[in-house]
Amino acid sequence: MKHSERRPFPWHILFFLLPGLAIYLVFSVYPLLDTLRMSFYGDAADGGHAFVGLRNFVTLLTDSTWSDAFWNALKNNFEFFFIHMLLQNPIGLLLAVLLSLPKLRLRNTYRTLIFMPTMLSVVIIGFIWQLILSPIWGIAENFMYGIGLGNHFDSWLGKEGTALITLGLISVWQFVGIPMMLIYASLLNIPDEIVDASVVDGANPLQTFFYVKLPLILPTIAMVSILTFVANFNAFELIYAVKGALAGPNFSTDIMGTLFYRTFFGFQLQQGSPTMGAAVATLMFLIILAGVMVFLLVVQRRINRFQL
Amino acid sequence: MKALFFDRSQPATGGWQRGAQTGKALAVHAVLLTYTVIALFPILLVLINSLKSRKAIFRDPLGLPSLDTLNLGGFEQVLLRSDFGLYACNSLVVTILAVGLVLLLGAMAAWALTEYRFRGNLLLAFLFAMGIMIPIRLGTVSILNLMVQLHLVNTLTALVLVYIAQGLPLAVYILSEFIRTIPKELKEAARCDGISEYKIFFAVILPLLRPAMATVAVFTMIPIWNDLWFPLILAPGEESRTITLGVQQFVGQYVTDWNAVLSSLTLAIVPVLVLYLIFSRQLIRGLTAGAVK
Amino acid sequence: MAKVQLKNLQKRFNDVKVLHGIDLDIQHGEFVVLVGESGCGKSTLLRLLAGLEEISDGELLIDDVVVNHQPPAKRGIAMVFQSYALYPHMSVFKNMAFGLKIAGASKADMQKKVEEAARKLKIDHLLHRLPRELSGGQRQRVAIGRAIVRDPKVFLFDEPLSNLDASLRVQTRVELGKLHQELGATIVYVTHDQVEAMTLGDKIVVMNGGRIEQCGAPLSLYHHPKTLFVAQFIGSPKMNVLAGQVQQASATGVSVMLECGVLAEVAVDGSQLQSGDPVSLGIRPEHLSLGTELPTCFAGEVTLTEELGEATYVYTSNGAGQDLVLKVDGHEEIAVHSQIRFGFKAGMAHLFDKDGMALPRLLKS
Repeated sequence: MKHSERRPFPWHILFFLLPGLAIYLVFSVYPLLDTLRMSFYGDAADGGHAFVGLRNFVTLLTDSTWSDAFWNALKNNFEFFFIHMLLQNPIGLLLAVLLSLPKLRLRNTYRTLIFMPTMLSVVIIGFIWQLILSPIWGIAENFMYGIGLGNHFDSWLGKEGTALITLGLISVWQFVGIPMMLIYASLLNIPDEIVDASVVDGANPLQTFFYVKLPLILPTIAMVSILTFVANFNAFELIYAVKGALAGPNFSTDIMGTLFYRTFFGFQLQQGSPTMGAAVATLMFLIILAGVMVFLLVVQRRINRFQL
Repeated sequence: MKALFFDRSQPATGGWQRGAQTGKALAVHAVLLTYTVIALFPILLVLINSLKSRKAIFRDPLGLPSLDTLNLGGFEQVLLRSDFGLYACNSLVVTILAVGLVLLLGAMAAWALTEYRFRGNLLLAFLFAMGIMIPIRLGTVSILNLMVQLHLVNTLTALVLVYIAQGLPLAVYILSEFIRTIPKELKEAARCDGISEYKIFFAVILPLLRPAMATVAVFTMIPIWNDLWFPLILAPGEESRTITLGVQQFVGQYVTDWNAVLSSLTLAIVPVLVLYLIFSRQLIRGLTAGAVK
Repeated sequence: MAKVQLKNLQKRFNDVKVLHGIDLDIQHGEFVVLVGESGCGKSTLLRLLAGLEEISDGELLIDDVVVNHQPPAKRGIAMVFQSYALYPHMSVFKNMAFGLKIAGASKADMQKKVEEAARKLKIDHLLHRLPRELSGGQRQRVAIGRAIVRDPKVFLFDEPLSNLDASLRVQTRVELGKLHQELGATIVYVTHDQVEAMTLGDKIVVMNGGRIEQCGAPLSLYHHPKTLFVAQFIGSPKMNVLAGQVQQASATGVSVMLECGVLAEVAVDGSQLQSGDPVSLGIRPEHLSLGTELPTCFAGEVTLTEELGEATYVYTSNGAGQDLVLKVDGHEEIAVHSQIRFGFKAGMAHLFDKDGMALPRLLKS
């Protein structure tokens, strides 16, 4: 209390904050910024790196040896994302609605079991489905014959036209538990009295859902969508496990994650390039950032009015 | 029949159309049951067939293993040809260390950011929040460089460090939200008694954070245990291989040995499923509580 | 406007009986208040009327039609919820119009009815706001407006004032009373607040443990409670109750030896009592008065006074279990710790037998 005018340096804040902050800064923030920086560099004659401005990006987006792969991966990635938006979230919503029905028995059992695949590694899931869809084992084929569609069976994972969709469906199958769980929680959050009020107002269950419940869970659906967006544009394991780094057949399953990996580490004849890898990562960063911004600025603001 | 599917302890919204309600209940259960089968069937298929002989796997893939078809050769192959014990051990060490440190450092940082006002406070909180949305993978090029310079490639340390950095943002976010709900009288009472800031945190606050920490632990643990990307890039060596990478490499190598492939997948699945079934209640509570905000 | 009849209405959750057969007649335009402590079944009963809960047994008739199996909207009821239950994502207009929209009303019709109701409730300037932009009192009006718009036969209110602060509660209470007169509608109103019950109700139904304890006009409940429960529930501060034994009983009066040693005279018909029967004597604070000249007289030390201005509540004790509250005129000056003497006239007290049932009072009316 002698130096009551000057407060002592708050060492305790440093003590609490520094260890976590240091690791976060060194192994997450710095690498991210450094990657952005490296995307402006190229290989120099002396084996080091030299500043090349936007050359890497120009190459990636316009030089056909690179740009074909890039646009292909971007297109595929959007396709992958749309498959999730069209199936994963609606199915998750449907399951959540069913689970939230009053007086449902076995509720917890269903919830636990349906969420189970989400817990497993994407790699494992990829292999499992590869086995099931394999014409050698014939499980899927026999099943298709069983329901009278045997002639429609094909080795879906092996065909250019169907491989990406099949992988998308596998991913949907695995992760449907996440939208289900989040939407279920937000449905439970709707006060009973509001639902009662709509029943008293004469709404049937369907009307209650569309006029009252759905608008109230829109923020959650928006959040699930942006989570899906980030996860999809960051995906890698499933394609790598099932189709390898080359994302075959003929790059038809190539997405940003696999393109990034190949660019960075190289494959077959092409040499890996850290700086080009960094450029791909930077573009992925921009895409994800754009998605998050759209979510925060447009969707979140508009949806705020629905909040309780 | 009705009592079996719908709990009659809770009121129906009006008792008109009793029959229609039973019909509706059946339809709801049919949908949920169908989806449950879809979710479980592939996993069960692998588990069942890993116990069968090669012949039985192909002749009758849906059959349960019988005395005739029981064959644990696949597991023998896996344990013989690869170092599964080591992989599992590596995964365990990495996951426990990373999750433990995420919890401790995350709680400390969350406390510092929510309890004390200082310059840069908001900026740091925002920096951590960004990490929730922006995947750490995008910095992989530099992370690898860094690990090379630190001579940490092919060590578990590299994985632990990266996973701490990966897990901290969400941990700081969830724990901060939780710390805000702790009544400030608690801290003020302690301060009036002249207890040091360190002791307030470790003796008063940390024990209170336990429920939130359980949630954070689950959220942090799953992606770490299941990750393929960083083990593949930072620690692909035989000695530092994690179980996910180990299985991926093994399956890639022995694609044609169905018994071995199915067994290795089973070995990777079972521990996770057992843990999940034990902790599912906790996990789901965390997931549904976290969704509220 | 409609009349509502409840015939042996029962409700079970699982095997737990929550309502044990409720019989009640509600007349055209009557304002009926269901009152009781929490868990007494009053809210469940309201939800049965609304159609939000299935009726386990018995019959519910609205305008002589059995509506047990009709959905809420078909019953011609509207409900105002405790938390108002406004749809948070709809404007005030849409909130009020929702029921009409579901019923397929035309745009012009909705516009007309909503605006009319809004004018009546003085919320016409709020129609384009969202519920979260409104104050508690405004939300309350919107909730009522939403009910009015549907022009129901019966209004149901579930503790509608409990979320308002004290002054607003009084104001809204008065307005509700006026609204009832204006609309002339049949209203069933649930509350745990006996002041609301007394001021608003044409008829009060006191519930206890899933049964109707007593049903009647406010003043008849006040003057002639049938049971000790009702006697203590109606009136504030609570009626004082003292245990004692009958010393002498006749059809014209009873004298009771109270446990605190005072002999009390009570003007009730005691023809069914025998001397020595255990009884409870009830006397309201406002019926105790200062003085020594009364037929039954107590002495006690003042432990606390609450001065409300127009009246003062005096808490007394004699140190031997005789704790009594008096309501005296606000002009009286009474010091804490002073010894006072007070008592009551025989006609003012109530007497209850060992089962808590009241003995008929001999009031000169």
